[in-house]
Amino acid sequence: MKHNKSLSLLAGNLLLCLSVHAADAIKANAGLPLDISLTLDGGFSSRDIVLGGRERGFALGHTELGASGNIDNRFRGQAAVALHRHEGKTELEVEEAYIETLGLPAGLQIRGGRFLAQIGYLNSQHVHADDFRERPLLYRAFLGQHYFDDGMRLNWVAPSDFLVQLGAEAFSGKTLNHTNSTRERIGTYTLNARLGGDLGRSQSWQFGLSWLRNQLQGEMKGTHDHHHDHAEGVAGEAHTHGASYTGRNLYLVDGVWKWAPDGNNRERQLRVSGEYARVTGLNKFASSADVHNAAYLSLVYRWHPQWEAGIRADALKVREPHDDHFHAGQLEERSVMLAYKPSHFSTLRLQLTQQQDRGGFAQASNTISLNYVMSLGAHGAHGF
Amino acid sequence: MRMVSKCLLTLFAATTVVAHAQPLRIFACEPEWAALVRVLAPDAEVSSATHVLQDPHHIEARPALIGQLRRADLAVCTGASLEAGWLPMLQQRAANPAVQMGKPGLFFAAEQVKLIGIPEQVDRSNGDVHAEGNPHLHLDPHRLQEVAAALAERLAHLDPTGAPAYRQRYLQWADRWQQRMAGWQSRAASLRGQPVVAQHSSFAYLWAWLGLRQSADLEPKPGLPPSPGHLQQVLSRVRSELPLAVVQTSYQNPQPGEWLARQTGRPLLALPATVMSEGPAATLDGWFTRLIDQLLSASTPS
Repeated sequence: MKHNKSLSLLAGNLLLCLSVHAADAIKANAGLPLDISLTLDGGFSSRDIVLGGRERGFALGHTELGASGNIDNRFRGQAAVALHRHEGKTELEVEEAYIETLGLPAGLQIRGGRFLAQIGYLNSQHVHADDFRERPLLYRAFLGQHYFDDGMRLNWVAPSDFLVQLGAEAFSGKTLNHTNSTRERIGTYTLNARLGGDLGRSQSWQFGLSWLRNQLQGEMKGTHDHHHDHAEGVAGEAHTHGASYTGRNLYLVDGVWKWAPDGNNRERQLRVSGEYARVTGLNKFASSADVHNAAYLSLVYRWHPQWEAGIRADALKVREPHDDHFHAGQLEERSVMLAYKPSHFSTLRLQLTQQQDRGGFAQASNTISLNYVMSLGAHGAHGF
Repeated sequence: MRMVSKCLLTLFAATTVVAHAQPLRIFACEPEWAALVRVLAPDAEVSSATHVLQDPHHIEARPALIGQLRRADLAVCTGASLEAGWLPMLQQRAANPAVQMGKPGLFFAAEQVKLIGIPEQVDRSNGDVHAEGNPHLHLDPHRLQEVAAALAERLAHLDPTGAPAYRQRYLQWADRWQQRMAGWQSRAASLRGQPVVAQHSSFAYLWAWLGLRQSADLEPKPGLPPSPGHLQQVLSRVRSELPLAVVQTSYQNPQPGEWLARQTGRPLLALPATVMSEGPAATLDGWFTRLIDQLLSASTPS
């Protein structure tokens, strides 16, 4: 808790410092070397859901203050503090604070500091760019919503007309395993490959493969003791950022396909994305059949510059360690959303989420929610 | 043996020559800059990130564009925040030091000329206005020529061996362009002073050059799509002074324009906001000729 307190103090100071800069930025307008963005996120939901990241009733969501810019001709920097509700208390957390090279030759790039791991399709994207109120079940179960940590990344982009990107990362592993002390200097490693391109004018695609190695798995005594009844994910515990279900290896496959008539995505666009994850090496008793699996498929359609609707189907299958044996758990989730985007900077979203317990998730629930995600300040360029 | 080494030597010589003659790879954010590059550096390998049917404000940082920017020696973009939603992400992801901010490999047209429409106050409640001013400067042929001059110098700086050729091509082109401008202006003289209704400030520079007046905007605020309530207001405002035409770009949804055109009995013009991908309007000359032709077609009663 002491750690948390000093962290929020630090975050608070950073916030103050950033807002002073923000005022300057607005005065000075263009040409200032610092882009400030503030994302406001909040809303109302009727119930808590299993592994949900938002509390029922009125609650703030992923409210975030970020700053980024070129430091000099060799480095770029970015930082973001996010606000979380944790056990009824509001906490500020530094989710990003990293530097990145701008001048390395041969398509190489190094990043160091605290940042979002480059795994899967969604993990390295900011939560406020998501199409649904909650991250897919896969992320909530295996990556603590989104996995960021202190570490380093090496990326290489191939000199080809379509995208070929290879990346390797090393992290402390502390946020994923929700621990402050470990014997290991490097707790997690990742490897990631991304391919992508266009098919004619109207279609574009991306495909990715990722591997996350968790060296700390098994080191922590009783990692799983606290969620015997699978109730852990019910909001309140949710924003710890530790993963609920861990293993030695996490494998991820992701694919995205987007279609917009004549490439004019502002007027109309169909976005289809899906990911599959498999977690192995749950503990020393696990046989090759004792693995966690999760997948989702999401479809979102924009039929007007201000209107979008989407559906998402999620599935999660876990093997819950219990001393030397395992209990099976299975959860399904379906979401439908309607989003109104009055401008490029604001979103109002109505969403229905239905959970279905297929064993071990007796607290599965349904919820209806209304939330807003709005941004001030810098435009904030988004990834694909 | 001698034969083989001779062969190898020739081969080596050939590859070094190829390496020297490697054409510049140029990434154009918009088609008008790709067209300009084709005039000044016809041997360059040029790609355009967007085309005439796309809204350049709303492009996604697609994987294909990251790949293209990765290999570019020069990126030619508009600037003035037009590409703020996607170019920074491409620069960040492409890991190409040549096209980072402040490098000679990044050319912004808006930095070469004086912009119009600079807001006195930037507040998002007034819509998505660019603090730097209206970025659609390529619709003014005078400013386009200023940009061409600066771009020729930039090409000369990046590729010193080709410098005389870039300057020569610019001078030849500018000569022709000035004659063209005079021709377009005299043809369009009858348009001077006429009101037009348009969507967004896309054609503001064209209106200023030809002396047309935008009497109403289909957008309630910059960057917001036309709403029924706002269209009613526009209709009541323009009834007393019917516009020459209702003008939209080819990437804007034609429905609001069609409605107003029906209500006012004035023609709807879908003007290409930049050079087209094929046909006579695929060059800068052909495109401006087409713009003038379309505007004149609206003023002659049919």
